[in-house]
Amino acid sequence: MERFLVIGERIHCISPVIRQAIADRNSAPILQRAKEQLDAGAVYLDLNIGPAERDGEEVMAWAVRLLQENFDNVPLCLDTANKKAIESGIKVYNRSKGKPIINSADAGPRLGLLEVAAANDAMAIALCAKEGIPTGVEERIMYCTEMLEKAMTLGIDPMDLLFDPLFLVIKGMQDKAQEVLETIRQITEMGLRSNAGLSNVSNGAPKHVRPIIDATYCAMAMQCGLTAAIVNPCDPRLMETIKTCDMIKGNMLYADSYLEL
Amino acid sequence: MAFKTSVQKYSGNVCNLELGTGEKKISLGGQNVIPFYSFDGDTGSGAKIGLEILDIYPDNWVDELKNLYGSAANNAAEWARLVEEKYSPDFICLRLVGADPNGLNKSVEECAALAIEVAKAVKLPLVIAGTQNHEKDLKLFEKVAEVLEGYNVLLLAAVEENYKTIAAAGVTAYKHKVAAESSVDINLAKQLNILINQLEVKSENIVMHVGSAAVGYGFEYVASTIDRIRLAALGQNDKTLQMPIITPVSFDTWNVKEGASTIEDTPEWGDQTERGIAMEISTAVGVIAAGSDAVILRHPRSAQTIRAFLGKLI
Amino acid sequence: MAMTGLDIYKLTPKTNCKECGFPTCMAFSMKVAAGGVEISKCPHMSEEAMAKLSESTTPLMKAVSFGQGETEYKLGGETVLFRHEKTFVNRNRYAVLFSDEMPQEQIDAKLANMKNVHYVRIGEEMKVEIAALQYTGNKASYLALINKVKASGLKVAYMLVCEDLSVLKEALSLVGDEKPIVFGATKDNYQEMVGLAKDSKLLLGVKAAGLEELYELVENIQKLDYKELLLDTGIASVRDAFTNAVQIRRTALKEQDRTFGYPSVVFINELAKGDKFMEIALASLFTMKYGSILVLEDMDYARALPLYGLRQNIFTDPQKPMRVEPKFYPINNPGDNSPVLITVDFALTYFIVSGEVERSKVPTWLGNPDAGGYSVLTAWAAGKLSGSVIAKFIKESDIESKTKCRKLIIPGRVAVLKADIEDGLPGWEVIIGPDEAMHLPKFLRTMEGIN
Repeated sequence: MERFLVIGERIHCISPVIRQAIADRNSAPILQRAKEQLDAGAVYLDLNIGPAERDGEEVMAWAVRLLQENFDNVPLCLDTANKKAIESGIKVYNRSKGKPIINSADAGPRLGLLEVAAANDAMAIALCAKEGIPTGVEERIMYCTEMLEKAMTLGIDPMDLLFDPLFLVIKGMQDKAQEVLETIRQITEMGLRSNAGLSNVSNGAPKHVRPIIDATYCAMAMQCGLTAAIVNPCDPRLMETIKTCDMIKGNMLYADSYLEL
Repeated sequence: MAFKTSVQKYSGNVCNLELGTGEKKISLGGQNVIPFYSFDGDTGSGAKIGLEILDIYPDNWVDELKNLYGSAANNAAEWARLVEEKYSPDFICLRLVGADPNGLNKSVEECAALAIEVAKAVKLPLVIAGTQNHEKDLKLFEKVAEVLEGYNVLLLAAVEENYKTIAAAGVTAYKHKVAAESSVDINLAKQLNILINQLEVKSENIVMHVGSAAVGYGFEYVASTIDRIRLAALGQNDKTLQMPIITPVSFDTWNVKEGASTIEDTPEWGDQTERGIAMEISTAVGVIAAGSDAVILRHPRSAQTIRAFLGKLI
Repeated sequence: MAMTGLDIYKLTPKTNCKECGFPTCMAFSMKVAAGGVEISKCPHMSEEAMAKLSESTTPLMKAVSFGQGETEYKLGGETVLFRHEKTFVNRNRYAVLFSDEMPQEQIDAKLANMKNVHYVRIGEEMKVEIAALQYTGNKASYLALINKVKASGLKVAYMLVCEDLSVLKEALSLVGDEKPIVFGATKDNYQEMVGLAKDSKLLLGVKAAGLEELYELVENIQKLDYKELLLDTGIASVRDAFTNAVQIRRTALKEQDRTFGYPSVVFINELAKGDKFMEIALASLFTMKYGSILVLEDMDYARALPLYGLRQNIFTDPQKPMRVEPKFYPINNPGDNSPVLITVDFALTYFIVSGEVERSKVPTWLGNPDAGGYSVLTAWAAGKLSGSVIAKFIKESDIESKTKCRKLIIPGRVAVLKADIEDGLPGWEVIIGPDEAMHLPKFLRTMEGIN
């Protein structure tokens, strides 16, 4: 089985440092965060430029070039709702280390991003949601199959889709946690790949508890078949957990020093 | 429906490693497929064949081989020259059995002097095999690596107990290649590679010796270990297992009953040399088919057959 | 292999007509995969799709058999491409080739060799299992050859390598009851061949020029509702034969296409072109990778010792290690003064230890109590190799009558057992042997008070 796909989340416009760097086209802070994440074991980097309605096309192309030129064509996740920005990013994208991933399509207003993926031979994260929060496993699977059908009529290889069951914050929506895991199990049984946006699940919990929730939830999801996650790779507990799950699942051979790799 | 060739693409590949210098230097590895699966991709350099010679007269070898090499077997340099000229293997394995503390216990200086004589006598790349005594090998390889600086030889082998000195002296100080030996234990094979990597020794300078056995003698463990290492290297792109593999086939095959029993012991089995060659050929094909990038053989007839065999599959 | 919802969806008409009661074909497919609804609820599934679905519950590679009674063998039925993924199930079988144009002396010599090479290794009978009888144009000689092999007293299955229907019919009148393999069907004769093989369910070899043609031919034969097949890898070149063997197996197991879900036959005698050592090399290759019947020019111990050893290893179930029978084995002709050495019944350990004892040339009684088939330390840790187990083994065997020597050598790694054993075996002196088998020759040769 293939190794778990770690997508680094830390180049995100929600961070003031990154927002400012994007506005100033200042490469240093972006490169620094990219390096930290790659050193920590990220395989893909998520590149979130926000809605960027005004200059999205230019920003995305600039950032894609910047990261790929500095980090040996590191594969990227292009993260914005701006379709034109995604297209302009893909135009300059080098695929030698992996296809670009569009983050993200859904079964509602962003269904059109699947067309962008099809037209550009890109992968896509497909959020199992339409509007608001889906009510249960069945609704999530319904959106999953809707997007799958659409994708297949567009000629997308189902393996190029990462279905995201929409992870929810534990504190406040604890009762939904099992639904998400069950959805992953069903997606896996259908022979499909899945993705988790893990960053928000521990929101609001005490700081020292958050890494424990993140790591444990991730481990449980991996056992249900989760194949990828957008995470903070600089969280050592989480990364150790992912490596250990990969090892236990046989995706990686054991050696005494396996955590040091 | 029509037949469609089944193609398996892998994300990883085996490192390319060079041994020896000059016109006769060789490459090991480089492939991104399972052995002989040319329909999947690049089969790399192909398996290489080495012939074994000793630092002492081979008293225990079959008479037929002793006759074949004649008086040359009294002198390793002369022996090596004869092997190079007459049988042209891809490399020569000089096995320093005379250094064994349980045997003649020759000094490391004496062995080193002999090694350099051999190196000067031939153009072929050399594999220097030790005694399997960890403490002695540590001193032996340190000295041999020093005097052979510039010849780019393979030191066979470093184990968990002595890898630090052997890898540091062999690779870092004198620019040789080191073989990391584990005994049919895939996790230890991986760990040893990591440990040697952590000494700042690059994977391109490491060969794996993951254990060996003659066919019939637990060979399934060897075959499956190599299978799993190759699948991890190619399929999981596990960088810590992408080094080429060497298997000293002859070290085992001539010691098991099928190769060691004389015609007097087992008359119904027929000629001993023929059996020894057969065991060597079968074991060599077995490890090569699983993923070994180099084999060490004893009988020139075995080497000739394996060469022809490889020629038919490339 | 169960099909996923996605696999089933690919077979549906994808029209979302809703006649099945579900909003989309995808939703319907998911429910079918989960077992919640019958596929027949869809009125628009093609016949091909239905056949595929029903096929999905049958094994990817068919297990076939040939021969009768003592000479009956099974081939195929494999589920994995690498033994460590689970296990290989049905070992390959070796055949020796005879033909009607061979001189009688040559036939006699081969028959003699086949009789000679017949032995047991770790509980497995090692011998040539198949006589491949090739027809090259002389019918009288061919039938005489069959009669000769039949009269030889050898217990072998037959493979009739003959494409001439009328000759084959006569051959079958001689050995038809023994369920021979019929080889084989080609694109020109396959209808008649199937007709001939079908009644007695004979294993039918299928031969074509290249994989494309072979694939098409198998499809045609399957249309005649015949599935007892053996696929020829061809003899164009070694490279082609190997490629074909791998592709046949991989098409079945990885691509899940049952058209190639059959065992294969490799005519190694043709590929090796009379070079015996090349024959050993190629037979080793196809034993490792995916040959089911390997046809050789001849059999002797130089071929048998490596090939049967290799086969026995490769077809060992990784979950069930090989064991040797727990008893005393005489090594180097021991007498009534020879010492007793104990190891375990794990075949690998036994072989290494017995090999080293042989190398020492010291006459020794080598005993291995029933230690569960584990290695020394594992057996000790599991309580299978204890002082009482060893004492009981000594007492229940007749070793005390075979040797007067009362020195018992135990593996160095279980030195702690010394006192326990001596308690249970008054009169015996327990001697701690070396930790590693490789040190045994020196240990035995220098041990005091032996011989």
